Amino acid sequence: MIRFILADLRRLWAGSIVVVLLVALATALGVSVILQERALRLGSARAADKFDLVIGAGGSETQLVLSSVFLQPSALPLMSGDVLAKLAADPRVEWVAPVGFGDSFSGYPIVGTTRTLTETISGGFSEGQVFVSEGEAVIGSNVDLAIGGEIKPMHGTIETGGHTHTELAYHVTGRLQPTGTAWDRAILVPIQAVWHIHGLEAAEERDHDDHAAEAGDHEESVHAEGAHEDADHDAEPDPHAGLNENWTAETPGLPAILVKPKTIADAYKLRQDYRNGATIAVFPGEVLTNLYATLGDAKQILVAVASGAQVLVAASLILVTVIHIGQRRRQIGALRAFGAPRGAIFGIVWLEFFILVAVGVGLGFTLGYGAALILSGFFSQSSGVNLPVGFAREDGMLAVILLAFAAGLAALPAVLAYRQSPAQALRV
Amino acid sequence: MLGLEIKHLSVRFSGLSAPALAIENLSIAAGSRVAVTGASGSGKSTFVNIITGLERVREGCISWNSEDIAGFSESRRDRFRAANIGLVMQEFHLFPGLSAVENVLLPARLAHAATSAIIARAHDLLDVVGLNRAGQKIETMSRGEMQRVAIARALLRKPGVIVADEPTASLDAESGDAVGDLLLDLAVAEGSTLIVVSHDSRLVGRLDRRLTFRSGCIIDDSAIKGAAA
Repeated sequence: MIRFILADLRRLWAGSIVVVLLVALATALGVSVILQERALRLGSARAADKFDLVIGAGGSETQLVLSSVFLQPSALPLMSGDVLAKLAADPRVEWVAPVGFGDSFSGYPIVGTTRTLTETISGGFSEGQVFVSEGEAVIGSNVDLAIGGEIKPMHGTIETGGHTHTELAYHVTGRLQPTGTAWDRAILVPIQAVWHIHGLEAAEERDHDDHAAEAGDHEESVHAEGAHEDADHDAEPDPHAGLNENWTAETPGLPAILVKPKTIADAYKLRQDYRNGATIAVFPGEVLTNLYATLGDAKQILVAVASGAQVLVAASLILVTVIHIGQRRRQIGALRAFGAPRGAIFGIVWLEFFILVAVGVGLGFTLGYGAALILSGFFSQSSGVNLPVGFAREDGMLAVILLAFAAGLAALPAVLAYRQSPAQALRV
Repeated sequence: MLGLEIKHLSVRFSGLSAPALAIENLSIAAGSRVAVTGASGSGKSTFVNIITGLERVREGCISWNSEDIAGFSESRRDRFRAANIGLVMQEFHLFPGLSAVENVLLPARLAHAATSAIIARAHDLLDVVGLNRAGQKIETMSRGEMQRVAIARALLRKPGVIVADEPTASLDAESGDAVGDLLLDLAVAEGSTLIVVSHDSRLVGRLDRRLTFRSGCIIDDSAIKGAAA
C-alpha cells in the first residue's frame, strides 16, 4: 500500500509539491509568530533578570526600564544624588550602582557606572580588566573594538545630531563576557568621568543646588587622595584621575540607580521605601509583564491573522482534493473492481492526503523556526538583546492539533472515494 | 470452477422506462467458455457489472455455484469478487509507477491476501504469459504486454471464473490473437469458467457458446460449431 501511495505521489509530484508548500507556508506563518513572540518575551525577561531593582526619578516606569535595562536612549529626569548615598549606606543593600546615559560612540551607548556593576554584570571578563581611572572603559562582548582602542564619546547619537566631546577620550581596558542583554553592546565607563565631561552643561540644566553639589564633589574628592587635584579646577576631566566610589549627599544628579538587595524581602521593602513622590522603584520583570499584557493583544491579532491564512489554505485544500478525487474515479473504481476492499481505498486516499499535510506541517515548523531565528538575529544585532528561539511543549500541542485537523480533513476525500460505486466510476 | 445461474433478473436505471437488462433464466455451466456479443448499449457492460457484483441487483437472483450474490452487501460482494472472479478489461487499468509484478500483486496486497505463495505465483504467472522482466515498470511496456500483465493479475488468486470485457479491442490483431490464446489456454489450465465480452469474431469463434444481446435481452443463445475443444 505504501509503495502504491508513493508511486501515486511521484506521479502527481507537481500537485503534491504545491499542496506541501501551501501547508508549509501557512504553518510557518503561525509558528514564526508564536516563536518570535516567545523569543521576545524570554529574551527581554532574561535581559531584565540581571537587574533586581531599578530606582529613578519620578516619571514613566516603562521608560526607566527601557533606558536602564535595554539602554534605549531617552532623556530621563534626574534624581538627587543623596538617594544614592542613602542606598549605599542601607544595610538591606548588597551593592548599588548609579548609571548615567546620554553619550554614544559609533552607535554603541556609553554607560557611566561603577566598578562593582561592571564586574558583576557579566560575571567576569573575557579579556583585560575593569577600569581604574576616568579615562578607561570596559566594552561589552559585542562591541567591535580592541583592547587599547580609543573611544571619543559623542553627546547623544549621530541620528539625533550629537556633537563629539573633546574633553576626554577613553581607552579600552577590558571586555566583558557575553550576557545576552543590551549591555553586550554597551561601553561601560566610570560614572565620574560622565559627570566630569558633562560638568558644565549639566550645571546649566540643573538647578543651582545640584551645581553646588557637583562643585562640592570636586572639592570632596580631594581628600580621596592621589593625583586628583587636577580634576579640581573647572570640570576639565583628567583621564588619569582615580575613581571615588564612595557616594555622599553631594553626589551629582542621577537618571537611574541599580540596586542589588540582599534578600527578596529586602527587595520588596526597598521598593516600598523608594516609591515616594521624588523617586520610583520598579522590578524590571514586573514592568515587562505589564508591557507583555499589552503586547499580548497584538500577538492575539497576529495569531488570528495566521489562523485565518491556515483556514484559507485548508479550504483551498478541500477544493483541490474533491476535484482530485473526481479525476481519480476510474483509478479508484478499477482498484475496487480488481478486488481491493473499500477500507483499503479509504486508507490510500486518507494516507496520501495526510502524508502531504504532515510533510507540509513538518516543513512549516522548520521554516517558521528558521524565520524566527533570522528575525531574532536581526533584532539581536540592532539591540544586543539575545532572543532565544525555541520550541516549548505547547508547540507540540499545536502540531498535534494541526495534524488532527489534517486527519479530519483527509477523511473527506477518503469518504468520497469510499462511497463511490466502482461500476459507475468505470463507466465514466 | 464456478457455474452461473441467473433468474428473474431485471436491472432498471432511473429515467429509463425499459430495463437495461432483463434475463428470465440463464445458466452457464462451470468450466464452459462463453462469448457475449451485441451492439453497444445492448446491455453487455451491465451484464458484466451484474455478474461480477460491481453493480447491485434489486430484482432477481445471481447465483455462482448457488451462492446468490444479489443478496450480498457491497463489502461482501467486493470480497467475493476478489476471491472468485478474475477481471480483464479493455483498458488494462494498470498503475504507472509500479512494476509488472507489483501491479499483479496490488489488489491482493490491498486485500491483505498477498502470502508468500501468492507472491511466488505472481512471478510464475508472469512467466506463463511470456513476460520475463517482472521488475519492469508498467509504463515502459507495449499494450500487448500490458494486457498480459492484466491477465496475470486476473488469475492471481485462482478465480473460479474469468470475466474479460473486450480484452482485445484496444490491441492490434497480432497481440489480440496472443491475448486470446492466453485467455483460452489459461482458463483451461486453471480450470476456470471463461466469459468473454467481445466484438472480435476471431476470438468469439474460438469459444463454445455465444450469447447475443439486444436492448437488454438475450436474443440468441447458441453453441458455436467447430470451436476448439
